[in-house]
Amino acid sequence: MSAFDANWSLMTPEIVLAALALLIFTIDFMTGIREKKPYLGRLSILALLVSAFLVLFMNGEGGAIADIFIVDTFSTVFKIILLLAVAMVIAISMHYLDKNDDVYQGEFYSLMLFATLGAMLMVSSADFVTLFIGLELLSISSYCLAGFKKHQRKSTEAAIKYIILGGTASAFILYGMSFLYGLTGTTSVVEIGKSIPALYADYPYIITMSMLFMLAGFGFKISAVPFHMWAPDVYEGSPTPVTAFLSVVSKLAAFALVIRVFFVAFWSISEEWTFLFATIAALTMISGNFIALTQKNVKRLMAYSGIAQAGYLLVPLAVSANYAPMAVNTIVFYSVAYVLMTAGAFAVISYVTEESHSEEMNSFAGLYRRSPFMAIAMTVFLVSLAGLPFTAGFVGKAQIFIGAVTGELLWLAVIMILTSIISFYYYFGFIKQMYMREPKANDANLKVPAGLSAVITIALALTIILGVLPGILTNFFMEVSHWMF
Amino acid sequence: MIPNILTILLMIPLAGAVLILTIPKENKNVIRSLAIGTSIVALIVSIVVWGAFDRSITGLQFAQLVPWFDLGYLTINYEIGIDGLSMPLLLLTTFVTTLSLFASLSIKERVKEFYISSLVLLTGMLGVFVALDMFLFFLFFELTLIPMFFIIGIWGGKAKDYAAFKFLVYTGLGSGIMFITFIAMYYFGAKAMYFQDTSFSIVQLAEVFANPANENVLTSAVRGGLFLALFVAFAIKLPVFPFHTWLPNAHVEAPTAASMILAGILLKMGGYGLIRIGIGILPDQAARFATLIAVLGVVNIIYGALLALVQTDLKRLVAFSSISHMGIVLLGIASFTESGLQGAIFQLVSHGFISALLFFMVGAIYERTKTRTISEMGGLSKSIPILAGFMLAAAMASVGLPGLSGFVSELLAFIGIFGASAEIIPAAKAFGVIAGLGIILTAAYLLWAMQRTTFGQLDEKFSGLPDARPLEYIPMIGLFGLSLLIGIYPNILSDVINITVIDILSKIGG
Repeated sequence: MSAFDANWSLMTPEIVLAALALLIFTIDFMTGIREKKPYLGRLSILALLVSAFLVLFMNGEGGAIADIFIVDTFSTVFKIILLLAVAMVIAISMHYLDKNDDVYQGEFYSLMLFATLGAMLMVSSADFVTLFIGLELLSISSYCLAGFKKHQRKSTEAAIKYIILGGTASAFILYGMSFLYGLTGTTSVVEIGKSIPALYADYPYIITMSMLFMLAGFGFKISAVPFHMWAPDVYEGSPTPVTAFLSVVSKLAAFALVIRVFFVAFWSISEEWTFLFATIAALTMISGNFIALTQKNVKRLMAYSGIAQAGYLLVPLAVSANYAPMAVNTIVFYSVAYVLMTAGAFAVISYVTEESHSEEMNSFAGLYRRSPFMAIAMTVFLVSLAGLPFTAGFVGKAQIFIGAVTGELLWLAVIMILTSIISFYYYFGFIKQMYMREPKANDANLKVPAGLSAVITIALALTIILGVLPGILTNFFMEVSHWMF
Repeated sequence: MIPNILTILLMIPLAGAVLILTIPKENKNVIRSLAIGTSIVALIVSIVVWGAFDRSITGLQFAQLVPWFDLGYLTINYEIGIDGLSMPLLLLTTFVTTLSLFASLSIKERVKEFYISSLVLLTGMLGVFVALDMFLFFLFFELTLIPMFFIIGIWGGKAKDYAAFKFLVYTGLGSGIMFITFIAMYYFGAKAMYFQDTSFSIVQLAEVFANPANENVLTSAVRGGLFLALFVAFAIKLPVFPFHTWLPNAHVEAPTAASMILAGILLKMGGYGLIRIGIGILPDQAARFATLIAVLGVVNIIYGALLALVQTDLKRLVAFSSISHMGIVLLGIASFTESGLQGAIFQLVSHGFISALLFFMVGAIYERTKTRTISEMGGLSKSIPILAGFMLAAAMASVGLPGLSGFVSELLAFIGIFGASAEIIPAAKAFGVIAGLGIILTAAYLLWAMQRTTFGQLDEKFSGLPDARPLEYIPMIGLFGLSLLIGIYPNILSDVINITVIDILSKIGG
């Protein structure tokens, strides 16, 4: 089949997004680089929504371009999640950029859109080459974004650290891929999946090595312990909306990638890797939650909280061998919950830290007095992150937990619960600041800008709705006969 | 009868909370009257339920089952209903909460948030007592955690931060263990059913666990482990020694109304859960560990009483007396006799009224004297005779004076333990004797404390203190009146619980 016969219409959402990102890039050049450009932010959100609309309605049946680019339920669902997450992040950024003059505005938006494009490629690709291109597009755009406050030492430091460590992780992934290519002569994930059972009998070590290399690389991207060291520094140094982007979009896209590679390519040797995932999940939950206890800086705290959350998301992978669709259902549900509560929390964090020019925990002091709406919304997000009832986070965590017990990984389930209880302590530390501390004398009442309050309201409403009526999502999952081709 | 009346009951406080949310925080009196009005409506509804409750049937009444969400192999249901065990506790909840809201009229700061938290708390507590699905039970159990954290943390005393976080982490740990155990129970139950049509329904799981055909999956070791884990989870809430250390902090730092709710209702959730789920699903294991339960019960009685004896702070003394009194619940349960179990349930209800009254009195007196240190008080009966009188009456009820509810429940529990079969607890009588000594200690610390506070020389600075305000009579008379009513006419309560108790015990025998 020649490239011209392929069903390129499957790629419409990506192509449209790329075109609009280039358009924003061009407009930015043509209007001079130093101005404030809120209209570009609005245009970006529009581009994301158009793309999400196309994802939803263009390819009802799904399909594939020569087993390289796949559109199936799995990729559609993840793309929608990612696009909506980025739209929320951009709404947060618009306020941030309005407050900060030292950031080039147009580039910021177009880089974010390119990163999104990379993430979309990642979730759709079934070929190591496309997959790697998507990953690098996402990563390189993120490196730039992390260093966007170039006059600040911390931001530059974050970018340098991220680039070096991220580059190393990419090298690991490539190296692991090269082993498989050498063995099978193909880069197609599906083909590799087919040939591994036979090859594994002859070359168990090479295949295991390749799997471990990839696991290390992917582990870096999802900030799983012991590959998490970069996260706190990078999260702290990056501009807050970028931190939100990293903790939501990069992480979830990498999860989609892990699922695709491990469920398709390495499926036949799942007993080799489920235990690895269980170990990593346990380490991640334990270290993330324990180290978060000692954090005073809000963004570092959120970094460790994000590590811990990644640990919860890894648990279904550890029990996936029993019943793969269930694991995907669980991960998707928790991903949705994670996007809502994390993006919502970052919207509040970004606003509060900007207003008080401090990223310490006590910048939240007396928030309830200054803005009851934001304090209540933040409380719901934190309660959801902690996994308490009537929030999306609780239902998601309960599903993961039930899955772990049903999959007879009781020890992992116990670790999950105990570390969740530890997390109460730091999440409620925020709540203590907001309600039980007086605001500083010079802090006036806060007026929440429209864009931010829209993000917060949507995230808040959905967090509660999914907590009270989780059937909205779970019933949809029941109808999905198969996630992947 | 009104269909779905329990759901309506659950929704009333939430609706009230939402209504209050819309009212500007300056209108404090509107907020107060709305909150109290809401709780009175809930109280009336629960009285209606009490009246309509059929005392002659064993099954669950006012039951309602709606599928909530589906996870493929598992459906989570909204399943509620009540029987003779939950009925009195339901009424206790609305009653004590209503009176505690009257008691919190003295709260002047952040009134709006306080009443919203209290109403959410009320929904959570009611939910625990009506839920018949373990998942739902857990949701409501956890729902009580957040408002209580706020109430202690915002309106509490000097060490409120510490107390709030200790409460959060301890009860969070209890909930965590409970959740693990619930899911494990579900899992083993589901395994026995080959994962067909499984749910978290307590009724369904009780049947599965009772079926001897499932013994290859539900082995004795599995059942024993599950029961012990459940016991620990509920023991933290009840609280049982050595899991009690959160209680003194929380009770002492909490504002009066919250102490009333904590001691009056929240502790009962532990005892209720133990009977409803522990004995309800694993009756054989409860009997197997009866000796352990009895030992812990006796330890609670003696240890709580000894610590109460050495307290210098009146509120702490009352807090430790709660620990001591919860021991009687354990003792009653452990006997596995009709009167013992009745005594345990009686004690849950009776202690609900008495401890709430005690905490209310301590709060009212503290408001006037500005001290809770026993040695600084004295002769209060001269300056504030009515308050001092009610406190004395509450102490008498707590000691177990005949004619008051405390006497009935202790008597029943002791009849139970003395009549316990030797197969279930060896040397039951010895437990009874030792626990009886603990009751003497109760009399000692309470009477001694009363003697030092209400009698004796009146300190100059306490003369001329204002006595009870009209609104304070409502909780005082309400709580004491019910204690008196149950004490004089216990049938009003045993009438409702009797048939359920017999039903529970029949499962242990069979």
